[in-house]
Amino acid sequence: MGLIKKLPVYMEKFPGGGLVTTSLNYVFNQSQASSLWYLLFGTACCAIELMATGASRYDFDRLGMIFRASPRQSDLIIAAGTITKKMAPRLRLLYDQMAEPRYVIAMGGCTVGGGPFYYDSYAVEKGIDHIVPVDVYIPGCPPRPESLLEGCITLQKKIKQQKLEDWG
Amino acid sequence: MNRDELTQYLLDKFQDKIELLETGRVEPFFLIKDADYLKSFCREIKEDIKLAADFLCNIGAVDTGERFEVVYNVASIRKKHRFDFKLVMDYEGAEIDSVQEIWAGANWYEREIWELYGINVKNHGNLTRFLLPDDWDQGFPMRKDWDAPDFKRMPEV
Amino acid sequence: MGGLRTEEFQVNMGPHHPSTHGVCRFILTMDGEVIVRAVPVIGYLHRALEKICENRTYPQCIPVLDRFEYCTAMSCNQVFALAAEKLAGLEVPERAEYLRVIMLELNRIASHLIWFGTTSLDLGAITPFLYGFREREDILDLFEMTCGQRLTYNYIRVGGVAKDIPPEFIPKCRKFLDTFDHKVDDYERVLTENPIFVVRNKDIGIIPPELGISYGVSGPSLRASGVRYDLRRDDPYSIYDRFKFNIPVRQNGDCYDRYMVRIQEMRESAKIVRQAIEQIPEGEITAKVSINFKPPAGEVYSRIENSRGEMGAYVQSPGNSKKPLRVKLRGGSYNQLQIMPELVKGHKIADVVAIMASLDIIMPEVDR
Repeated sequence: MGLIKKLPVYMEKFPGGGLVTTSLNYVFNQSQASSLWYLLFGTACCAIELMATGASRYDFDRLGMIFRASPRQSDLIIAAGTITKKMAPRLRLLYDQMAEPRYVIAMGGCTVGGGPFYYDSYAVEKGIDHIVPVDVYIPGCPPRPESLLEGCITLQKKIKQQKLEDWG
Repeated sequence: MNRDELTQYLLDKFQDKIELLETGRVEPFFLIKDADYLKSFCREIKEDIKLAADFLCNIGAVDTGERFEVVYNVASIRKKHRFDFKLVMDYEGAEIDSVQEIWAGANWYEREIWELYGINVKNHGNLTRFLLPDDWDQGFPMRKDWDAPDFKRMPEV
Repeated sequence: MGGLRTEEFQVNMGPHHPSTHGVCRFILTMDGEVIVRAVPVIGYLHRALEKICENRTYPQCIPVLDRFEYCTAMSCNQVFALAAEKLAGLEVPERAEYLRVIMLELNRIASHLIWFGTTSLDLGAITPFLYGFREREDILDLFEMTCGQRLTYNYIRVGGVAKDIPPEFIPKCRKFLDTFDHKVDDYERVLTENPIFVVRNKDIGIIPPELGISYGVSGPSLRASGVRYDLRRDDPYSIYDRFKFNIPVRQNGDCYDRYMVRIQEMRESAKIVRQAIEQIPEGEITAKVSINFKPPAGEVYSRIENSRGEMGAYVQSPGNSKKPLRVKLRGGSYNQLQIMPELVKGHKIADVVAIMASLDIIMPEVDR
């Protein structure tokens, strides 16, 4: 991806070069946002709502999202469910195995900040943002499928604002 | 057998080795006075024809603030009745005998008691880390006097 | 090719795996393709629910315990409410009992639909997953109409239920039940005589009845091995003795029989709901429970028949306190995961997936 990063610098020197860079921006961002493949990762209650969102009433496939079982084939982790201290290194391992560009959605109260287990629990990680960098937070316990779809659309909006210089 | 017949039968059979507790509300609740008698008690209630306690529902430990208690809930599938019994012990030197030869399902329940409370289990064979992370070194978390730096208690309203 | 030297090796079926129903890890010792030993490693979802309950008042414990087994959250509420009511000697009004039974049985159907969807997804069939979740959405509409939530309800409280059903509930429920039996016939048409499904499930993972009882297996997994034991009949709680329903029992104890038992149970639960909505009386929905609910000193173990086996709660109250001293929870999946190493010996890795799916293990019940 080094060539893509340097491309805007060269293209801007030519007349009309800016048009090419913005068109390339648009094409890359659109194609990436329209087919995010998410990793099947669900530990607790939010995983059932994730499955229900992928089923026929609230369909994930209309946003282009399909589940993959292997982290090497996916570019999004929807962390659904409580992450405990024992599970935290495994989540980091999965995140490290994904290829860039990669995104993380923190779904549900437990991943945002501990949720109902913030007080009095000795084994729960209070929020996943000190394990992996999070792009979108979706509160709720569990969040409704409409909230999850809104979160994914927010992520798509965030992707569409990316620039070529930020890649890599 | 209903509740009263069951209570009477158990008191007649074991006489002074067990004692009926007043705190049991629904089913008969007994206290076993001597911790060494636990294994023979369990064997006898499983093999007795009228009791036939072949299903172990639950083993749980309690920290009352002054002592440990270990509670056993058993049921009978053939006779369709249920009763409970418990052991009490002090904090120092707390240990129980393993009953996994009698009910195979007791294995994981006893392992959990050891891990979370620190009550030693004799003749278990596999007392290793179970529910907590592998590098846990902060003691036995379910005890009432346990504390840790990142453990937050919910404030009183 | 005699004299070939072979060695055993270990395969890690890690906590993140598409078919482990949550986060369960197996360390499998293999000899070629055949499993010699399996060791389950758990604790990846240990959230210390019991420690949390020691610092919450009795009404505050109920939403915490919703997360104990989220597929049948109504049963978790019910088992704790039963224990607290037995401690305090409370009498629940009639209408509340009928509402509880309706919600519990609808929740049982919803849980079996999740099991049906995920089992077929594990074995490679995607269509039954979509069928199961389509029906489940109708049931969740009914729950949302009543208590506002789709998954963790906080509906069955100590002394009764939280809210009354709206007038649209019963016509919508009747409409759902009218077509439900035909839908279950559809599910059977997809899987029951399917040659691939039969070969993957027949004679795999047989639980002998004596071994099952010794390990504490209960619920549909034990009824598939020929032991007719259902707590709704044998240790009745609530008002189950007023309804006519059958208890499906099969003889072999393999994965196929467990599948058949659960499919039949869905039909029987629909029968119970049909009878309950005809018989429901008017009246109060909750007993008089004071704001500072302090049951007298005592201890009780209450148990109910959950869709995964026997669910129990041991509650000890110190007397004159708003919070319980100890809440120990028992879930059916704990014992079924304990018996799994015995069942997978001699099978292949793909059979581990089939056995785990048919036992209907769910990890928060194991880890709490």
